[in-house]
Amino acid sequence: MKTLLMTGVLLALSGAGAVKVGVLLPLSGAGSVSGQAAKNGYQLALDEINRAGGVLGKPLELEFADDGSAPAKAVPEFVKLVTVEKVDFMAGGVSSATSIAVSGPAKQYGTFMAWIGAAAVPVEDAFADHPYFFHYHPWSYYNFEAILGYFKYLKTYKKAKTIAIAYEDGPFGSAGIDATVDAFRKAGFNVVMTEKFKTGSGNFGPLVSKAKAAKPDILYWVGYDTDALPLATEIKQQNLQLGLLYGTPPSWPVGFEKNSLSDNVAGLSLWLSTSPNKDSRTFVAAYKKKYGTVTDEYFAPLAYVNLKTLAAAINRAGTTDKAKVAAEMAKTNVSTPFGQLTFSPSLKTKYQGFKAGNWLHFQYLGDARVPVFPIKFAQKPMVYGK
Amino acid sequence: MSARQAEAGAPVRAAPRREITPGAALPLLGFLLLAALFPFLPLGSRAEFLLQIAFFTLVAGIMALSWDILARSGQVSLAHAAFYGLGAYGYALLLKAGLPWLLAMPVAALLAGGVSLILGAVTMRLSGMYFAIATLAFTEVVRTIIQNLPESVAGGATGLLVPALLGGNSRAQYALAWGLLAFTVLVSLAVRLTRLHFAFAAIRQGEETARVLGVSIVRFKLLAFFISSSLAALAGVLYAGKTFFINPLETFSLANSIAPLTTSIFGGLYTTLGPVLGATVLRVAEELLHNSVKDGYLVVYGLVLMLSILWLPRGLMGLRRNRKHGGDL
Repeated sequence: MKTLLMTGVLLALSGAGAVKVGVLLPLSGAGSVSGQAAKNGYQLALDEINRAGGVLGKPLELEFADDGSAPAKAVPEFVKLVTVEKVDFMAGGVSSATSIAVSGPAKQYGTFMAWIGAAAVPVEDAFADHPYFFHYHPWSYYNFEAILGYFKYLKTYKKAKTIAIAYEDGPFGSAGIDATVDAFRKAGFNVVMTEKFKTGSGNFGPLVSKAKAAKPDILYWVGYDTDALPLATEIKQQNLQLGLLYGTPPSWPVGFEKNSLSDNVAGLSLWLSTSPNKDSRTFVAAYKKKYGTVTDEYFAPLAYVNLKTLAAAINRAGTTDKAKVAAEMAKTNVSTPFGQLTFSPSLKTKYQGFKAGNWLHFQYLGDARVPVFPIKFAQKPMVYGK
Repeated sequence: MSARQAEAGAPVRAAPRREITPGAALPLLGFLLLAALFPFLPLGSRAEFLLQIAFFTLVAGIMALSWDILARSGQVSLAHAAFYGLGAYGYALLLKAGLPWLLAMPVAALLAGGVSLILGAVTMRLSGMYFAIATLAFTEVVRTIIQNLPESVAGGATGLLVPALLGGNSRAQYALAWGLLAFTVLVSLAVRLTRLHFAFAAIRQGEETARVLGVSIVRFKLLAFFISSSLAALAGVLYAGKTFFINPLETFSLANSIAPLTTSIFGGLYTTLGPVLGATVLRVAEELLHNSVKDGYLVVYGLVLMLSILWLPRGLMGLRRNRKHGGDL
């Protein structure tokens, strides 16, 4: 306790020269659930960093700014953090549109960016020539690579041959749908149905009827949490026999695991709070201690890892000089709740953190989300219906 | 002739200039002058940040004023997001096709204006709620079409990268936005100070009366649509060139149709200064609240907006109307 107090006093005395990190997050608007989760992760990491002596012997300070999930708000907030608050580094970033919008000022000011979200490929194009852009979240093509890897496994070991695709008609579901179909076909699958639906409509009757006629082994569903229960209900009512119902909503309905309709439904997540990974368990325990609850939003541990690795790189560099910190950041090789984190080139950017291998495939089994693939992370055998 | 007589459907031929005193133009001129000088004010380290805020305020001002021009003809549209988006996409696609930005900008605006004539013609017989719903549906139709164009053409649902306007120079971008706002103001004044004002007002008060007075309903309603949507498209161009990225979901968002409506009502309908002033006051208020009420500032902002509309049914311009200064610009 005394040590903590002394550390606090010393850090407070040296506060004038605090290292400042600006954090741009969607704390309001469409992306606010992820933004708020990330904010919690940052604050948890900040506590731990400052308890351990801060950065360069000084306290680390975070300046949060709300991008309102809108590019028109993100640009002024970004510029404010860089030019008014004079932050040394920038972190955060969830939405792709806001991230692209700030690429202009980021390049203008040569801002160091440790970026957690923004998975769309245009973001990669926008930051391709930025020398200080460290991207943590897998790009969208890594997500699909992970899904395809799982389906190929099902093809080999469960004899899955046919896929039906149900996708919502907005950008989330529709983006790259033609490329998705092509990739499945190239992998040897027979795509027996490609059906668009209006998210939130709750009417999956015709879609499931069509799927029933097509007799797919896998129903691959790309939509939002609001569609999960109506779709599962309709499948049950029409007694559609599937090997697997696989979905990729950004988040799942609260309490879905308690509903028997969720049984065996599979999905993709960068992280699960039930993950047996030691770093994940440590994070969950620390999170629960600080907030009194456990989160299932992966942006919380992602933000936590983001700030911890940035602080470590600054400490190793012994300076806030961007080039030196970037050189140290590039050498990052740490275990995290998501697995090992290193930075290597992606298709267009120089420093990409997590990739396809970091995604986990889970199934709702026994009132919980249980990792089932990759096999080395599986906690229970997957249930395949055919 | 008074504005009241005009609104009641007096002859369109009357010369409106007589009712506007020079004093009425002073606040508008003062606003434009202040906006022009804004980048040169000694704002210290906050200068660059405030310039960014000011840029988007000018864009909001163009949107609100362009919406108001259409509203003057009695057409309460929810299609402004469509024209804003068409401007943004038109500009991006024309640049992609190799047009220089200076040409792409007006061509995108004219194209959006052209499309608006189709909507105007289709909705000609609709009014009130029916007209609003039709314009809302139109926005959804345009968004769906853009989203379903081949990804190689318009980026599909993912969106499209747009080259930075004026090389990303924020001062130059601001100057361009100011120039386009000044142009919008001039167009609005042209509508206000010519016979168009009376034609629009007569249509707004009642199409039957306007027809009896010899006003060509079709012609003037379509003209209002064309002017309004072309100007909204220019705002879309500014947005696209500033944020480097457009996608159907955000560009054609309902918020882009609602914001100009609320801004115009807050500032003062059927005036030139009102919508522009409304955009400025709302943006400044939002920023101040954002900094003082960190969490839940949007709730406070919404309450302020609701109370303002309740207490100032004529908007900010209602505060001025009691003065003896002649007509409002």
